[in-house]
Amino acid sequence: MTPALVLYAIFSLLPIAATFWLSFNSSAGFNTASAFVGLHNYQATAADPIVWQSLWHTFLWLIYHVVLAGGLGLALALAISRLKVTQVFFRTAFFLPHLVSLAVVGVIWANIYDPFYGLLNTGLTELGLGAFTQGWLSDPALVLFSVNVASSWQGFGLYMLLFIAGLQSIDRALYDAAEVDGASSWQKLVHVTLPGLREVTTFVVSLAMINGLKGFATVFVMTNGGPFYQSELITTYIYRLAFQSQDHGRAAVLCILLSLLAIAVTIAFNRWRTRLSR
Amino acid sequence: MLKFLAGSVAALAILAGGAVANAQTLKMWGPEQIAEPLVAELWNGIKADFEKANPGVTVEFMPPTGTISNGAVQAAIQSDAGPDVILTNSGIGRITIVRNAKQVMPLTEQYEKRGWKDQIYPWLYTELKGQFGGEIYEVPDGLDALGIWYHKDVFAAAGWEVPDTWKGFETLLAAIEAKGLQPIAIGPRTTGSAGHLFGNLLQSASGKETIGQALRKEIAWDDPKVATGAVRLQKLIEAGFIKKEMAGLDLDGASRLWFNKRAAMFVAGPWFTANARKAGYDLANAGYAPMPSDLPGEAIPTGGVGWSWLVPVNSKQPDLAMKWIDFMLSDAVMKKRAQAPASTMIYPRELKGIEPSTPVLREIFAAAAGGVGYNPSVYLPATVLDTYFQMIQGLISGQVTGAAGMQQMQAKMAEAK
Repeated sequence: MTPALVLYAIFSLLPIAATFWLSFNSSAGFNTASAFVGLHNYQATAADPIVWQSLWHTFLWLIYHVVLAGGLGLALALAISRLKVTQVFFRTAFFLPHLVSLAVVGVIWANIYDPFYGLLNTGLTELGLGAFTQGWLSDPALVLFSVNVASSWQGFGLYMLLFIAGLQSIDRALYDAAEVDGASSWQKLVHVTLPGLREVTTFVVSLAMINGLKGFATVFVMTNGGPFYQSELITTYIYRLAFQSQDHGRAAVLCILLSLLAIAVTIAFNRWRTRLSR
Repeated sequence: MLKFLAGSVAALAILAGGAVANAQTLKMWGPEQIAEPLVAELWNGIKADFEKANPGVTVEFMPPTGTISNGAVQAAIQSDAGPDVILTNSGIGRITIVRNAKQVMPLTEQYEKRGWKDQIYPWLYTELKGQFGGEIYEVPDGLDALGIWYHKDVFAAAGWEVPDTWKGFETLLAAIEAKGLQPIAIGPRTTGSAGHLFGNLLQSASGKETIGQALRKEIAWDDPKVATGAVRLQKLIEAGFIKKEMAGLDLDGASRLWFNKRAAMFVAGPWFTANARKAGYDLANAGYAPMPSDLPGEAIPTGGVGWSWLVPVNSKQPDLAMKWIDFMLSDAVMKKRAQAPASTMIYPRELKGIEPSTPVLREIFAAAAGGVGYNPSVYLPATVLDTYFQMIQGLISGQVTGAAGMQQMQAKMAEAK
C-alpha cells in the first residue's frame, strides 16, 4: 500500500499541488525566481478573450468528437456486426487508423486538406464538383470541424470495437421475439439494439468526451490553433502559454480550468447515466 | 612473467580509464536539414575536423524538432537531457523568451575573452550589445535577407520583370493572375513564413526607419505610416492576388506551389536554396529581387540575425560548447561553409574573396550589400509575436482588416515591457 501511495503522491498529488502553486505565482520558467502574485493570473486569464474563445472551441470540439467518432463507431459496428465471413477483415481495417499516432494523422490530413494539391479538393474537382472545394484549414467556419474529422477518423475504431462487443452481448432471443411480433428492422434497432447498448453507449460517450477534452495533437500539427485562433483549444493555448511564451502562471490557471471542466463533465454525465438506468 | 602480465593489464586499465575519463560528448541541437546529403556532408566534415582537433571529443547532432517559436527549444532545455549547444532561429524576440526564462547563458564575457566581438560585423556587435542592457546571449551564425524569389524562365517567357514601383508590382500581379498562375504563394501556418511576406510589405510601404521606430515603440503600429503595409496585404487578398485558402498552408505547402511553378513568386531568404535543392528545383532558374517600393532607397530585403548559437544554462559541456563556437567562428570553418554547395545564408562577418556557390545567392548577397530592413518576426518582443503571426493569418483568411489588425498589434505592443 505504502509504495503505491508514494508513487501516487509523486506522480499525481505533487504535480497537482505544483500546478496550484504556479497559478498563484508569476513564473517565466522553471529556472526563474517566481513571485507570489495572488489572483493576478486568474484575473488575467478571465480578461483574455482568447481563453473564452478557446473554451467555446473546446466545447464544440468535444461535441464534434462524440458525434463524429462515436456516431461513426456505432454506425460501422451496426453495419458489420451481422457479417460472418468478412467481419474480421472490416473490424481490422476500421481499427487500423487508431494505431496511427495523432501527429502522423495530422500530417496526413493536412495534406488531404491542401487547397491546391490535396486529395479532397482535387478529387472534388475531378468529379466535376469544383464548386464544393473549400479552404478546409483556412476558412474560419470550417477549420475546427475539419481538424476534428481527422482526429475522429483516428478515434472511431476503438469505439466501434466497444459497440461490437456490446452488440454481441445482446440476447438473440430478444430479436427472435421481436421478429415473431412482426417488428421491422428500424423497430428492432430502436427497441432492442439501442436499449441493449445503453451501458456501452454511456461508456463510449464518456470516453469520447474525455478524449475530446484532451484534443491537442491534431490541432497542434495541422493549424497550431490558427488561422487567427479559430481552432485554438484550451489545451493548445496552455501549450502556447507554457512553452512558447513561458507564462507558466497563466498556463497553470488554464490547467486547473481544464481539470474542473473534466470533473464537471464527468459528474454531469454520471448523474445522467444514473437517471437513465433508473 | 605473471608479474609482467599483471602490470601490463593494470597499465592498460589505467590507460583505458584515462581515455574514458577524457571522452566527452558535445550534444549539438542542429543543424536543420541534416537529412539532405549536401548538408550532411558539410556538417559531418565540420564535426570530424572538430573531433580531430579535440581528441576524445565526440560531437552528437540532435536534429531539431522545432524552434523557439514553437517551444521546441525551450522544451529540450527544460528536459535537462537536452543539448549542450544550440543552433536555432534567433533574433531578439525569440532570444528574449529563453533569456527571460533563464534558459540560456549570458555570453558577453566570452565576446571579450575569446575575441568573438571582432569576428562579427561591428554593427552587428553594437546591435547585440544594445538589446539586453549590454548583456549578450547569442552568437550570430547567419543573417537573413528576405525578398522575392521568382522563376527566371517563367518571367522571361512572359516578358515580366520585378518592377521598381508598387503600382508596377500590382500590375505585374494582375498579369500573372490573368495567366492562370498564383501570383504569390505564402504558407502562414508556419509562423516564420507568415512574417517573411508581411515584413517585406511593411518595409516596402513604410521604409526601414519607420518600421524601426515602430519596433522601438516610438511610433504606434496603427499609425497610418506603419499600417500601410497591412492594408496593402488586405488589398492583395481582396484582389485575389493572394488566395485566402493559403491561410491553411504551411511553408512546405506554399513552397510546393512555387517549386511546381503554379505560383510565380515566393518571399524567402537565402536558406530557401536548401528547400529548393531538396525539392529538385533547378537553382540556376531562381531569380531574386527585393520587394518594390515607392520610397527612394527602400526596396531592400528585410532580415536581421537569422540563426544563432546559444548555450543552455544546463549544458553539461559549457567549456566544450564555447570551444565549438570558437571553432565555428574560425576562418577555416566559415570559409568552408560559405563555399560549400550547401551554403544557405549570409555569414556574420565579411569573407573577402569568397563567392557564393549558387547564382541566386550572389543576387541575394548583392541585394543585401547595402543593408537590410527589419523582419519584425525577429525583432518583436516575445509577448507580441503570437499576436503578430495570428494577425497575419487573420488578414490572409479575411477575418481582420489591415487597420484593425494593426490596432491589435498596437494594443499588444503597449502591454509589452
